[in-house]
Amino acid sequence: MKKVKVLNQICIELHHMIINHPLLGPRDAAEFVYLGDASLINRPDASGDNAAQTFYQYLYLRDNPAGEHKELWYHEQGDRSWLVVTRNTLTHEISNVEMARDVARAAGGST
Amino acid sequence: MSNFNFVPQPVLGDFKHESKGVSIVEQTKLAIVSVACPNDGDEALVASVQNAFACSLPDVSSVEVSNSGPYNGNVRWLGLQPQQWFVLFEQSAEQSAPLTVIKDQLGDTAYCTDQSDSWVSLEVSGPLAINALERICPIDLHLAVFPVGTVARTSMEHLSVIITRTGEDQFLMMSAASSADSFLHAITQSVRNITA
Repeated sequence: MKKVKVLNQICIELHHMIINHPLLGPRDAAEFVYLGDASLINRPDASGDNAAQTFYQYLYLRDNPAGEHKELWYHEQGDRSWLVVTRNTLTHEISNVEMARDVARAAGGST
Repeated sequence: MSNFNFVPQPVLGDFKHESKGVSIVEQTKLAIVSVACPNDGDEALVASVQNAFACSLPDVSSVEVSNSGPYNGNVRWLGLQPQQWFVLFEQSAEQSAPLTVIKDQLGDTAYCTDQSDSWVSLEVSGPLAINALERICPIDLHLAVFPVGTVARTSMEHLSVIITRTGEDQFLMMSAASSADSFLHAITQSVRNITA
């Protein structure tokens, strides 16, 4: 019974979460879809010698921090952009929102 | 062999509704063409739009109205997402297909797709329009925040909707033609709730 209550609280908080989109301003989290850890942007080199090992790490090994977490959100009911949201997993406080495209380019990506 | 003669029908059968303070009118002649910018083609596209339509390409959330070109300058550019726009204009039966109209002007500087038949468009207007919309639209529609010439893509009653303010008390709303009846129901019900 206690577990159910906790889950409900989390759902309610998420429902009221606002993401401050860099281009569009504040939008309800309900317009977005959550993907996961923003390190998914850094796809390993598939032709590398140790590709099997790096892809295993890329796919299955995740940090699970209690605190600040960079994560990917997709604005499906909006401008269809991918965002990198820095969210505190303990409080849901969002301290930074960036366009994933800018983050990827800054890291040397081509997209 | 049969000789078929197809006549296009409005998605909602030319829907019109008038109640105290709000009217809802289906826009049946609206042509919609999606325009996307090729990689590294920003400058060429800006130049061709300026040349053909005498307007600049709007940023995301903004609308630009063309000052020349086909359709007597009555072409609206909606900035929907980075590098992508919806081009809206009134279409009559005698004129060429929407895609041809835009493609003839932009040539290879853009990727164009005809979206006209995929959307249903409703104009919601009147002094109480905002009262009806504030119940279903998660976007702040206050005139100071969402002025004339602003556009947003959002969801209302779980349906994807593009909304743009065309006048102080006037909004154009577009949603998928495939769920047009549900979209109409959401809006008429909201209007009924504030006028009944």
